[in-house]
Amino acid sequence: MAAFSLISIFIMLAMGFVMYNQFLFVTREENVQNTQKLIEQTGKSLEDYLVSMRQISDTAYYNAIKESDFSRENPDIQVKLNLLYEANKDKLRSIALYNNYGSLMMAEPVANQKENVDVTSQSWFEQAMNKKENMHFSTPHIQNLFDDGTQHYYWVISLSRAVEITTSGVVQTGVLLVDMDFSSISWMMKQINDSQNGQYYYLCDSSGEIIYHPRQIQISEGIYKENAVVNGGYEEGVYDEIFDGGRRKVVVDTISYTGWKLIGVIPYESSFTHGMINIQYFVVLLMLLTFMMIVVVNRIVSVRISRPIMKLNDSVKEYEAGEKPEIYIGGSLEIRHLGYSIQKSYEQIDTLMKEIVIEQNERRKSELDALQSQINPHFLYNALDSIIWMIEGERNDEASFMISQLAKLFRISLSKGRTVITVREELQHARSYMNIQKIRYKNTFSVDFQVDPSIEDCCTVKLILQPILENAINYGVSSMDDCGEIIVSGKRDNGNIILAVEDNGLGMSEEEAALVLTDSNRVHKKGSGVGLVNVNNRIKILFGKEYGLTVESEPDEGTRVSICIPEVPYTEENRKKLEEGNIFSIEDTGEIKRQGDSHEK
Amino acid sequence: MKNDKKVFILIEAILAVVFLIVAAFMLFDRADDRIQKISVVLQDSDSSQWSALKYGLEMAAADYDAELFVVSTGGSLTVEEEEALLEKEIDNGANGIIVQPVAGEGTEEMLEKIGRKVPVMQVESAVTTDDETSALPVARPDHYEMGAALADELLKDFNGSLEGKTLGIVANSKDTSAFQDKEEGFMDGIAQAGGEVRWTVNDYSGQEEELALPAYPEVDIIIALDDRCLIQAGEAAANKNLYGAVVYGIGNSMEAFYYLDYGSVECLIVPDEFNVGYESVRGLIQKLQHPFRRVSVRSLSYSVVRKETLFSADNQNILFTMTQ
Repeated sequence: MAAFSLISIFIMLAMGFVMYNQFLFVTREENVQNTQKLIEQTGKSLEDYLVSMRQISDTAYYNAIKESDFSRENPDIQVKLNLLYEANKDKLRSIALYNNYGSLMMAEPVANQKENVDVTSQSWFEQAMNKKENMHFSTPHIQNLFDDGTQHYYWVISLSRAVEITTSGVVQTGVLLVDMDFSSISWMMKQINDSQNGQYYYLCDSSGEIIYHPRQIQISEGIYKENAVVNGGYEEGVYDEIFDGGRRKVVVDTISYTGWKLIGVIPYESSFTHGMINIQYFVVLLMLLTFMMIVVVNRIVSVRISRPIMKLNDSVKEYEAGEKPEIYIGGSLEIRHLGYSIQKSYEQIDTLMKEIVIEQNERRKSELDALQSQINPHFLYNALDSIIWMIEGERNDEASFMISQLAKLFRISLSKGRTVITVREELQHARSYMNIQKIRYKNTFSVDFQVDPSIEDCCTVKLILQPILENAINYGVSSMDDCGEIIVSGKRDNGNIILAVEDNGLGMSEEEAALVLTDSNRVHKKGSGVGLVNVNNRIKILFGKEYGLTVESEPDEGTRVSICIPEVPYTEENRKKLEEGNIFSIEDTGEIKRQGDSHEK
Repeated sequence: MKNDKKVFILIEAILAVVFLIVAAFMLFDRADDRIQKISVVLQDSDSSQWSALKYGLEMAAADYDAELFVVSTGGSLTVEEEEALLEKEIDNGANGIIVQPVAGEGTEEMLEKIGRKVPVMQVESAVTTDDETSALPVARPDHYEMGAALADELLKDFNGSLEGKTLGIVANSKDTSAFQDKEEGFMDGIAQAGGEVRWTVNDYSGQEEELALPAYPEVDIIIALDDRCLIQAGEAAANKNLYGAVVYGIGNSMEAFYYLDYGSVECLIVPDEFNVGYESVRGLIQKLQHPFRRVSVRSLSYSVVRKETLFSADNQNILFTMTQ
């Protein structure tokens, strides 16, 4: 997503740059073209104006002066010139005719010639006399010829030409001067110099002398500079130049007849960038908006992609936490497929788990059954040996008692196939067993049952006391002469039931006592071979690992084997639960006890 | 996911802030392009002596994208009239004022008061005594130098000595620093040349009720220290009413040029009024753009014009500014 964003930003920046430059280029081209058109139009107007001046000069010369003799037709000439002046006085300042000595022969409008004016030294006169075949346009200057009494000075452009003046039949050369009011040209130029963007137009002759410039005085004052000398030398066309530290485009048009140059100047800095500042801002704003949009689109796309993944992740987490939520299935095809796969996997895991649990239970049950089945043959052998021994000794009453005890023993042992029985039945089983053993051992030891009656209705695994008693007899009291004593006790202790078998026999060392419950491979010297390990395992399988046997022994003092089981009231329901492998934790036993109490009630 | 959301909101917020800043800049730039309105108050604003100055004002206004308004005043103003005009211009939305201060007490206080509202540029003369530290800048010709130049030209014509010659000095602005400077410059210039200043008229307005120049005692040389007096003197000389007195003066109108051209005035010192006008606008625009920057005092040059050089290229340019 970051790569996508970076690429988008890069493309956006590139587009902005290209767009701005393209816009700038088009604007420049358009600006130059507009300037060219404007210059062409203005040049045409100027040419028209100058042509009209030439026509006035021609009319004055050919219609009034050339064919007339001043000595005879002076008034007629004056009238003709007057008519010509009146017809064009909006453009003209004066029409004057000088002889070759510079004396005024005629002028329109009639005005006093200023005293001490030497026209022969004025440039228009000199040019006309020097090149008689041409018409000469001067640069703008103050007319210094007449005093019209208005105390005013006029800016004129002089059109002078050499003419033939006939006086009394004598032809002499003179100069016809048509002074054009500069304001007409000035007005034309002002019309096109109204741009606010730094672009301007000026007029100069081919030598670079300025005829009109919007900053004419600033240039003469040195406030402003113009490249007129160079520009005046340009041919028609568009030029790029650097002047006064600024790059600019110069569009040049040549005015016919005069060689004047109409020049349009487009400074790069102001003209081309005028209004472009806003474009620059606009492009930046556009880019910012686009960037914001990209971020939003990125966000939407990423959320659209990531949200289903997050939901799927959340449902998987819930599943891992032990809840059983529906695995989220949504979003794009791939995510949905992932969801389906995970769901299917979990379903398979569930099925497998259930199968494993069932297998485990079955295995546990079969193990339990196998353990229990280990007891029966040993004990049966012993009991039958004792009965055989009694019958052989013709102790029929004892044999009968023994057989009745054996019957009780087996009844409880079988218990209709149940594994869990009441403590009472277990104690009964223990009593029966001890009665049989006492007969067998000729009452060489005594047995005392000290059991809290209130625990007798609790659950226990069947046949757990018998192996312990068997060990107590075999390893404890069997070798003692009439002073062996076995105490079977039962009491409640912190929600548990403690059944203990205590003897005053030989006892064993601490190390040996520790091995009794851990070393299942011990070779049993005596007894049925069902060791305490067997009993311990059965209790742990049925009630949980926190329960089982504890062996305490002191050599020559005796041994005490304690059975710790949870206090679970014996009900059919609890029995079934235990037999099905539902191990009760310590916390559960209290609840179960209460349930049991309520059942009893 | 929550962090992503925070980052997203942060990025969007930053972009929005940048967007607003750029938009504000765009608007600020447009506001910056706002055309400054400048009002100009000149005494007797329609007088031809202001032609060049007005052209300078106009050109500078065009160069600096300012809108110029020259207040039409019929003649001389009093301090109160000038204050009223300036207040009116400010009310009409003028961003800056160019003013020719009137002679009289209270002008400085009045201009300082106006200057607290909008930037003020004095033109032609200053009412403040300490120009360098004044908060009211001024664009004016160097009056002292013009007076000195006039004396110099006079002495050139009289071979450096005015011994035995009598002079009459005429001007119409006795209280302005312009007159004082010009007179001081001139007097310093002729101090070593001898000659007697027979009379000095310093409040000559040329009005009908006043004594005409020919009525003053006869002198050999009349020195006119301002344009109006020069025209009066030129006219009197043209009419041959000055008993052969030659006229020297300081002027900046086409009429002054005319009398020089006509031969009624011997020598003309022409202040560069175009530049005075141009510089006043430039200074004011500078002050408008940088309100806390002190605009330096501008003393501008002058030209010496004689009949022989009247139509030189430089002088034609001076005339050009007067004909616009």
